[in-house]
Amino acid sequence: MNITVLLALIAVLVALRFMKAHLLLWAGAWWVGIYVLLRFGFRVPIPASVISIYMGIVTLAILAYLSSSDERREEVFGPLVRFMTERRHTPFLAVTVLAIPALAAANVYVQMNVAIEPPFFPRTIHPASPTEITVQDQRISIDSGDNPYRALEQSNPDEFRKHVENGRRVYYQNCFFCHGDNLGGNGMYAHALNPIPTNFADGTTLPSFRETFFFWRVSKGGPGMPEEGAPWDTAMPAWEKMLKEEEMWDVILFLYDFMGQRPRAREEVHQ
Amino acid sequence: MTTRQIARGLTLAWLAVLCVGTGLARAQSPDIGTEAQREAGKVLYMKLCSQCHGEKGDGAGYATPNVLPKPRDFTSGKFKVRTTGSGALPTHQDLVNIIRKGMPYTSMPSWPGLSEEEVSNLAYFITTFSADFSNPEAAPKPIDLPSAPASTPESIETGKKLYEENGCIKCHGTLGRADGPSALTLKDEAGNPIRPANLTHSWTFRGGSSREDIFRTMSTGFNGTPMPSYLEALPPEQRWAITDFIASLSDTNGPGYTNLIVARPVQDPIDLAKGAESFASAPVARFPLLGQITEPGRSFHPPATSVTVQAIYDAESIALLVKWHDMRADKTGKNSPSLPIPPEEEAGGEAPSAAPAASETEADPFADTTEDTVAPPAEFSDAVAVQFPVAVPAGARKPYFIFGDSQSSVDLWFFDLARNEPLQFIGRGSGDVAVNDAGDVTGVASYSDGEWSVIFRRPLRASSGAPFTPGQFMPIALSAWDGSARERGNKRALSVWYSLYMEPETVPSAAGPMIRTALIIFGLELAIIGWVRSRLRSQARNEIRGEGRPQPAMGS
Repeated sequence: MNITVLLALIAVLVALRFMKAHLLLWAGAWWVGIYVLLRFGFRVPIPASVISIYMGIVTLAILAYLSSSDERREEVFGPLVRFMTERRHTPFLAVTVLAIPALAAANVYVQMNVAIEPPFFPRTIHPASPTEITVQDQRISIDSGDNPYRALEQSNPDEFRKHVENGRRVYYQNCFFCHGDNLGGNGMYAHALNPIPTNFADGTTLPSFRETFFFWRVSKGGPGMPEEGAPWDTAMPAWEKMLKEEEMWDVILFLYDFMGQRPRAREEVHQ
Repeated sequence: MTTRQIARGLTLAWLAVLCVGTGLARAQSPDIGTEAQREAGKVLYMKLCSQCHGEKGDGAGYATPNVLPKPRDFTSGKFKVRTTGSGALPTHQDLVNIIRKGMPYTSMPSWPGLSEEEVSNLAYFITTFSADFSNPEAAPKPIDLPSAPASTPESIETGKKLYEENGCIKCHGTLGRADGPSALTLKDEAGNPIRPANLTHSWTFRGGSSREDIFRTMSTGFNGTPMPSYLEALPPEQRWAITDFIASLSDTNGPGYTNLIVARPVQDPIDLAKGAESFASAPVARFPLLGQITEPGRSFHPPATSVTVQAIYDAESIALLVKWHDMRADKTGKNSPSLPIPPEEEAGGEAPSAAPAASETEADPFADTTEDTVAPPAEFSDAVAVQFPVAVPAGARKPYFIFGDSQSSVDLWFFDLARNEPLQFIGRGSGDVAVNDAGDVTGVASYSDGEWSVIFRRPLRASSGAPFTPGQFMPIALSAWDGSARERGNKRALSVWYSLYMEPETVPSAAGPMIRTALIIFGLELAIIGWVRSRLRSQARNEIRGEGRPQPAMGS
């Protein structure tokens, strides 16, 4: 809820009440106010179709209010009737009568002249992984497995650095063309790709996943994506064809090391 | 700061004062920063730069085998983009600029995220790799770069003549498409193959695309490469004229990459003999190409960086005009989408280009020899392919963008440019591409001044392949092979999926619906006003008659 929008609306309505605004203006203010509230008052946007349903209900409610007594009816429709019938309003009436169809026609023109856009097909960016994959005849559990070299970080830091360095070599011989020198998803071929390469430097992507998830994405690439990931579009190679298993684990170590981040911890069930 | 550092600083300051005071400082030493700045730069360099330029600055990093142009060897002291004279060191600001801006269409990225201080420190650290920077005589002095006069049609015309007279065409080609006779033989001083700039694609210029950038590059040359300095050879106004000509060769709006080809209907039957002329009404769609680096047999730096496509259709058939730039028409040898790439070729990085392997002579494109060095004919011919799904996709699902997959296959219109006719292939994955004998694609190809123009034509409803119908969107992808870069099979430049839209013959006019809408609303308005007025009149009449009956309010 955007509290400033709500407060501003209340302030305007109170001011109008205080000024004893004309009923027509009062009804209009409510209609516009509720629209503004629906459109801008919520942090999570409300779909346009839902807004139009709400506004239909609001319109009926306001009309019901306006016709709920003879005085209100007279106050609302009196000025409209005078506008349509009194001689002194005739020139302005003529302009209005011509302007409304002209605006509607212009709207039709704009609607019929939108630029041609290729069809858009949404895709899931990080689809759910299978529980287990087979890479180079090795069964790897995505759910319960771990990066086999991660433990070296504690047990043998020198050996761990060697794996990170090997991952760095693998990255800059294979990955940086698309994912970029700085891991920002902006390599020299990024402009020619759709979907664009994953940005690992955004601060949130790496810590959101476990290393086995990335191992699945690296080893199986685009062709290993499930249907909702639109495997036909992404250029991510199935690296199992070109890299050894150890190289793929090492490059994942490198990603986290370069960004100074840690993978998401495995969920533990507490009995 | 330790006492020792302070002492050293004081000594240096004293020496500097002494030098200036005694007039010994004939030349100012290069700006190499302070020890602390270089140390800070080193930390960044090891993290961000050494993967290509090497920990020793010798250009031998992890990535080096797979990139082209090769990373700069800082120990050589030779830098391409500078404001200083030929052979001179760059200024500190030159180094800062190139780190900040990078080199377009190479593996040298721009570094917009680094702070001023970080970039400056990196530039200072780079000077430690070459002893030249500690030579007080080698202080870089920027050359005089006068401000730009206005570009006029006359200056462009003058520039065109000077461009031809001064040997630019030997590498860059008559129309600037990098197709000069020496283009394929060029090597840098380290012996690595190097490609001349395509002057019609200014967005790929390594030193930047503005007129000032072009003028500077021409004036200073690119040290260590065959691109010479014209500072001594040509007066500034002539260099500006050539600059204006070069700038006129490219679209000033950049590549204008799109994601859609609009196929225009034409009245006259499509005649292949008419060539590109028939496509005058069709908008030009330019797509970026990238190296095929997804499947084994990778091409990390294909020469072609983009391709343009136009499409038309008549009552019977659709025709596509595909154009791209190629340094030479390779019409010898053969090519096919299914030619295998030996694994060792990829492992060795960039395969040697068609540059003469036996000839050890330095290829100097500016030597006044009567015979130009010409690269030997290629083993593989140039080729191009247009790819469509075999069946129009019902939903989002398309075949895999690299020659399809086992479930959904692609229809490849493949033109081996050593042959006279295109062939059709069915692709079920890059390892499963087979000739489709039932194909009925025809075509013509021509090469002129560094540009291939290839026209494909197929019946709208063919014996094999998806039908083309007006109003339909069809996925399309392209591939280009450069024979002189030994591209064949999987080793090529390719695009991802884009769309081809068959624009209907009669685009519905907006006039009808506009008039209809306006008239309906106008009629409603008149009806409401008329009704209100008649109600009011009858009310008035009733009052005059004095019947005094209570009146229903308006609008009820």
